[in-house]
Amino acid sequence: MLMCKDLAEIASDYIDDELTGRQNLSVKMHLMMCRHCRTFIGNLRASTDLLKVHSSGQENEELIRKIDERVAEALGARKSEGGVRE
Amino acid sequence: MSTSVHPEIEASLIDNLRQGDATAYKTAVREYSPGMLAVARFYLDPSSAEEIVQDCWVTVIDAIHKFEGRSGLKTWLHRIVANRCKNRLRTSNREVATDFSETLDPELASRFNSNGRWGVPPKLQFHESADTLMENDALSDCLDKHLSNLPETQRSALMLYEAHQHKSEDVCNILDVSASNLRVLLHRGRQKIFLMVETFQETGEC
Repeated sequence: MLMCKDLAEIASDYIDDELTGRQNLSVKMHLMMCRHCRTFIGNLRASTDLLKVHSSGQENEELIRKIDERVAEALGARKSEGGVRE
Repeated sequence: MSTSVHPEIEASLIDNLRQGDATAYKTAVREYSPGMLAVARFYLDPSSAEEIVQDCWVTVIDAIHKFEGRSGLKTWLHRIVANRCKNRLRTSNREVATDFSETLDPELASRFNSNGRWGVPPKLQFHESADTLMENDALSDCLDKHLSNLPETQRSALMLYEAHQHKSEDVCNILDVSASNLRVLLHRGRQKIFLMVETFQETGEC
């Protein structure tokens, strides 16, 4: 029988629909009977969703500026060689 | 950080990049660099990773003419970064060290009894939607902090799969990990985020 700890080990596979039919069924059976695991799966899914909507505050402005500079320089060089069409 | 660019907008962006349009480059650099950095950080230390991302953009100016559009622009860019990083590792004889043996985070594992049942079960249900939760600046900062504390391998896998919404096979290809090892990285990373949100909801502290 699937125990709570076993379920926790395969929880991401359940969320992403990566389990076999048999495994999926035993997770569903367990969830019907176990309130704690229902909460766990719900919260793990919510945590995963956070990453989908999270826009990192650590976007690296300094790096973006450096890239802009190097790209502008390289584009300028290509244009003077006639390598890039206007 | 947007998750996907509409195909028609992407096609016109690619056209403009091919023509060497400076504004198109600025747009693309903002759109795609965070993901490219996530790929590079999987393989390399922070400063080498930034260097590789800069070099890649210069390469793109010429390489974009050969881009055939078989994959999306994002996947193509991420592969360029991954290949450069792998070459860099090869020349320096380094390897990415990762432990794929444990599926459960030790902190979560300690919450189960020896009979495999919950000893310390999750107390609260996260009722709010992800969008509502992220309106909380303190939680958003906390998530940033915990993401930056994750092992590079887990963070890159999570960012590519969740934030940049790559398919599993693309993430495996870009990060050079097997499908089963990717599952471990994703699960370990998610458990850390789960534990962080739980602590935050219970205590209001990061």
